[in-house]
Amino acid sequence: MAILKPILYILVYPGLIFLMVYSTFCEWFDRKLYARMQNRIGPLHTGRSGILQPVADIIKLFAKEDIVPEKADKHMFSALPVFALAIICTTALYLPLWHYSEAPSFISFPGDLIVVAYLLTLPTLIYFLAGWHSNNYFSAIGGVRVLTMLFGYEIPLLLALLSPAVLADSWRILEIARFFQDKPLLMLVNLIGFFIAVIALQAKLERVPFDIPHAETEIVGGQLTEYSGKKLAFFRLLGDIEMVVGAGLIAAVFMGGFPGGLLPGLAWFILKTLFIIFLLAAMRAATSRIRIDQMINFSWRWLAPLAVLQLFIVIIIKGMVS
Amino acid sequence: MNSEAIFEKINGEIKDKILEAAIAAPRRISVKVERGQLLAVLAYLKDQLQFTHLATISGVDLGENFEVIYHLSNDTTTILLRILTPRAEPKIPSVCQVIPGAILYERELQDMFGLLVENIPDPRRLLLCDDWPQGQYPLRKDWKFNRPAEIIPGGK
Amino acid sequence: MEFKVSLGPQHPALHEAVSLRMTLEGEIIRDADLKLGYSHRGIEKLAEERTFTQNIYLTERICGICSHSHTTCFVQGVEQLMELIPARRGLYIRTLIAELERVHSHLLWLGVAGQEAGFESFFMYTWRDREVVMDILDWITGNRVHYAMNTFGGVRRDIDELQKKKILDSLDLLTKRTEYYLKIGANEPTFVGRLAGVGKLSREDAIALCAVGPTLRASGVPMDVRKDDPYAVYNEIPFEVCTADSCDVLGRAVVRVKELIQSYKMIEFLLKNLPDGPFKVKAPRKVKPNEVYSRYEAPRGENVHYIKSNGSDKPERLKVRAPTLANYTATIKMLKNGFIADIPLIFAAIDPCICCAERLVQLDNPRSGESKVLSFSQLRTMANDHYKKVNLLKKEAVWPF
Repeated sequence: MAILKPILYILVYPGLIFLMVYSTFCEWFDRKLYARMQNRIGPLHTGRSGILQPVADIIKLFAKEDIVPEKADKHMFSALPVFALAIICTTALYLPLWHYSEAPSFISFPGDLIVVAYLLTLPTLIYFLAGWHSNNYFSAIGGVRVLTMLFGYEIPLLLALLSPAVLADSWRILEIARFFQDKPLLMLVNLIGFFIAVIALQAKLERVPFDIPHAETEIVGGQLTEYSGKKLAFFRLLGDIEMVVGAGLIAAVFMGGFPGGLLPGLAWFILKTLFIIFLLAAMRAATSRIRIDQMINFSWRWLAPLAVLQLFIVIIIKGMVS
Repeated sequence: MNSEAIFEKINGEIKDKILEAAIAAPRRISVKVERGQLLAVLAYLKDQLQFTHLATISGVDLGENFEVIYHLSNDTTTILLRILTPRAEPKIPSVCQVIPGAILYERELQDMFGLLVENIPDPRRLLLCDDWPQGQYPLRKDWKFNRPAEIIPGGK
Repeated sequence: MEFKVSLGPQHPALHEAVSLRMTLEGEIIRDADLKLGYSHRGIEKLAEERTFTQNIYLTERICGICSHSHTTCFVQGVEQLMELIPARRGLYIRTLIAELERVHSHLLWLGVAGQEAGFESFFMYTWRDREVVMDILDWITGNRVHYAMNTFGGVRRDIDELQKKKILDSLDLLTKRTEYYLKIGANEPTFVGRLAGVGKLSREDAIALCAVGPTLRASGVPMDVRKDDPYAVYNEIPFEVCTADSCDVLGRAVVRVKELIQSYKMIEFLLKNLPDGPFKVKAPRKVKPNEVYSRYEAPRGENVHYIKSNGSDKPERLKVRAPTLANYTATIKMLKNGFIADIPLIFAAIDPCICCAERLVQLDNPRSGESKVLSFSQLRTMANDHYKKVNLLKKEAVWPF
């Protein structure tokens, strides 16, 4: 029994199978919302209201011809998508979804916030390597843009995640969530940080206005120009799961997590992540892509100082509360 | 300044440089010049009469000669400035030093009529494909297109 | 480190085949070169072998978006050659279609600008409104793209009261929407941030490089053939020439939106003052030997046809200069020292209208930047050879789902 639960945890819920299903659902939700905001209908034909469209897209990509460019680094080129998917699925395990024991285990221990932040950075690095090893100018430009952007949003994101941790006096996601569950009013203190984190998540997911690395009208597909077939399907799945994990992390850290055990926890998880995805879709519909220099300027002129301000507010409030 | 005044001015001031001038239609003046005087007349029209806009350069195959027409416009009038160049020695001077925007039209003339534009800043081909045979100029009247026999794979 | 990148002939930002060769230094463009000819169809040569009436429909096929511009330019030139005075009602309808076409072309451009800048919502909204104009055009001409309205001596179809009313109703909606876009274009910070200061073309350069249309007018030069050299009934319609002084892509967008509003007013005027009478007069078949130079303000700028007749029913020479060609030299100038991110915007800002690929440039070795040119036949042989080697058993495999 003791061994069964971790296996279930890794493979079924909230591990691999749940992530695959839920992330495709989230993509459909995002696409549908985005389409409705643009006066379009969005996916319609596959399944009820097109709900199976993302699954159909991935199945289609798996059936397509898989091309590895002659001049590309073949081993790296093929291994990177699998690594990226594995990393992001591992990250998902640290979301406090089903484990409510206080004892530290391999999925929840003091300091797991840092681990999640670190693991969430790795797909970005993999995007860069994918671009670099494709041996294509468009990919190389895309890869360099990925790294340039990383320096823009990563520090505001970390600073934003820092403030709830400081307030809750813990580096463990579970404890931060529990702290806010006990004192829901204190969530309002982190409002600035919440929005900074959502914007940084948008940049991490490379969606409009931050889809600079794979801006198709400029550099075709950016870092993914040379990818096709199964490997591209892996990268697409990676994007979807990254969105779920990012939204889950923000929900856990800023919005009080997912209390109540298996089923209520699941309901909270879906509710809160969909809310964040709604914010992301709205941001995507309302803005235009910006240039890389404008993006870096924006991060360092607005996001980073605001994140520091948030930290100060949190420290002052903490002094007042305790 | 309307087209009559411009016509008077052209007839008065640069009469020695042009061969003939006429008002061809309302707001259209046709001016004929020698090949050697082209740049001087063009510079005069540009600096004195504000004919800064070169709409295009048309080539016409007249048999013995090629006629090259420079369509210049200002805000009231269009001047059709024309020169003749013999078929045996089809050379025209480049006007890019007076009007830099002429470059694409001159390259097009080189492609289509086989005119040699002297002192052209960029003599590469513009429109014809890179494996187009040398010495074939499609817009000359004696050039005929012979369609190669079409072979349909699997057809009769 | 400098390196060369070839954008096109196939590229998501380019809707037609043209090749831009960029010399890049990081994100900055140091040099640019343009390669044309991928869609050269030999229309000028073909026109010499067709009768004047056939040529109306040939010139219509020069471009899909400004199909009415080319026919009007050609038809009014030939009418001058024939010494034919077209019917007044016909001229009004011709001008009406011309302005409707300008509206649909400018709305299309706004959407394309939104898409190139990565503002998809803007693209979706403007293209939805473009459908209104397309429906009007479809209703009064019978076609969405190639209207085939022009003929020598007037137009081919009349418009009735019901159509007039429907157009006037739709105009209210379009005016409201266009004002909204002007507001978005001026206020949405990410969009303005992308457009402002991009693709600078000074007034002097614009004049020297012979730019035309909104590109020239955005550099502060009030050149508009409709005012300078009025054709059709433009000398009777009140309108203003829209200019901007910012000399950048934002200025070009503003010029186009202002022109949209002017066009709505012109359409309203044309419909309310539509004269009675016949909409076309009979035209002779043969044309006296003469020549004519016809100018027309297409949505993209000055469109020029030079027609020379030789007394038969076929033209001796037809020279067409579409507005896009005139703007290419200026584009190269604008691209230099810009960012890669601005290439699609700058290139789209001249509203390029190119048109079928016939060959391809292969970057032989990406490291050294050597290139070699392959002809279409070589490409076909290469493709055939490749698929001979591929295991064709895959073809017989059963689709698993």
